[in-house]
Amino acid sequence: MAVPISQMWTVATYVIKKRLSGVKRYPLVLMLEPLFRCNLACAGCGKVQYPPHILKKQLSPEECFAAIEECGAPMVSLPGGEPLLHPQIVEIVNGLVARKKYIYLCTNALELKRRIHEFTPSKYLTFSVHLDGQREHHDMSVCREGGYEIAVDGIKEAVRRGFRVTTNATFFDGTNPNDVRSFFDEVMGMGVEGIVLSPGYSYDKAPDQHHFMGRAKTRRLFRAILSNRKKSWKFNMSPLFLEFLMGKRSYECTPWGSPAYNIFGWQKPCYLLQDGYTETFKELLETTDWDGYGTSSGNPQCANCMVSCGYEPSAVSHGFGSLSGFFAMAKAALFTRYEDKGALDLLNNSFAAKHDQLVKIEGVKLPAVAQLEETRA
Amino acid sequence: MSQILNPDELEVVDGREHENLEGWVPALATDEEVRLALEKAFDYRGDVTLTFKSGDRVEGYVFNRISGKTLADSFVQYFPANAPDKRKATYAEIARIEFTGKDRAEGKHWEAWVKKYNEKKAAGEKNIQLVPEALD
Repeated sequence: MAVPISQMWTVATYVIKKRLSGVKRYPLVLMLEPLFRCNLACAGCGKVQYPPHILKKQLSPEECFAAIEECGAPMVSLPGGEPLLHPQIVEIVNGLVARKKYIYLCTNALELKRRIHEFTPSKYLTFSVHLDGQREHHDMSVCREGGYEIAVDGIKEAVRRGFRVTTNATFFDGTNPNDVRSFFDEVMGMGVEGIVLSPGYSYDKAPDQHHFMGRAKTRRLFRAILSNRKKSWKFNMSPLFLEFLMGKRSYECTPWGSPAYNIFGWQKPCYLLQDGYTETFKELLETTDWDGYGTSSGNPQCANCMVSCGYEPSAVSHGFGSLSGFFAMAKAALFTRYEDKGALDLLNNSFAAKHDQLVKIEGVKLPAVAQLEETRA
Repeated sequence: MSQILNPDELEVVDGREHENLEGWVPALATDEEVRLALEKAFDYRGDVTLTFKSGDRVEGYVFNRISGKTLADSFVQYFPANAPDKRKATYAEIARIEFTGKDRAEGKHWEAWVKKYNEKKAAGEKNIQLVPEALD
């Protein structure tokens, strides 16, 4: 695991304290969106499709600090929009570091090299650079030729200056796991601390509604990607969540685990679905019909979701909240190889064809073993 | 909500069909029509113009709705296009809704990008990219 011990300790003690005090619903990561403005126009993104007067708005540092004080999560993710376009992002980051929050500043890194000197390295600050794959794949994904090169320059500069850096990839229908594995080799070679990954999600605000995988296909893809791992690959994620993606574990969604706060307020019920807003975090917890969300609820909007913001908190709470979970997590951290002949078959046969541009993988013929095992979660 | 039998067996997920509402002026003759129109306004990725029974008119982005038992205890929240503060109005106050603003989600599909990319590539262009829309 690439997550530092101090961060794990902070999260572990937080979870245990909540459990011991009988708190049923508690946040692990605040998804703090300081603005929706972005310097990319990715076709699949539903986060930036707003009128200009909304894109010009942003949270003040004081509003950001009030949100983290209110919810009390030990970690903060700063997505957007592009946080580095916020004129007071340094003040926001410094204020969160002063509060000893572990921050993941999610950036496309187009501005990273230019602004990196404004930040101070800290164990609390990680630049989580959006990199969806190798050069061609990433450039197509973010709809910008040359985007990969700029992002990699930013990564290398941040690593050189002693910052914690991870890459952050979202995989949609059409992803070739062989390419993803080569991509892992590339990013680890850049000196990053670890890799963060998640399947895409068909949230209904996204303008592109045609490249989302169902759960069976998601598990098959991640089984192919994450089995037979190389020792050099490090993941800045819960190992139990990775097992969930591979179909080795079953979890229910914990939508309150990664609450989202932005210029509209506290988003109901989660970072991806927009079913309304509340003024306070307490109101979010108390007025959201939590039983109406998650796969087991039967809500079709949740049917295909296996995204980290909902399921990683479930994995983390399991890992730090019970002895069985802790042993499972320790085992997953120690034995990282995950040898799997069926997954090799998937890599060598089903996904072997090289695609030029995120071509859909529908119609791929599966070996019998995969067809049997693909729904085992 | 319709029940899905076993989500774990889903191979591909159908996305939601994008509804082009730009320019729409819904009828608001019944309470149900008012509720439906404001639900669509909440979903819409553009500004709408609200005309109140007082005669006031405001264009803004509807970002929230809270549905109560009656129109008088149901609310919308919006950011006016020309003011910084959040505002709130009851459904009962609203006389007319017009979907006047540009739909910011319209036409931004993956396929549209790939088509554009291939055309530009074939024409020999370099540094092909989609650029965010200007804010002013």
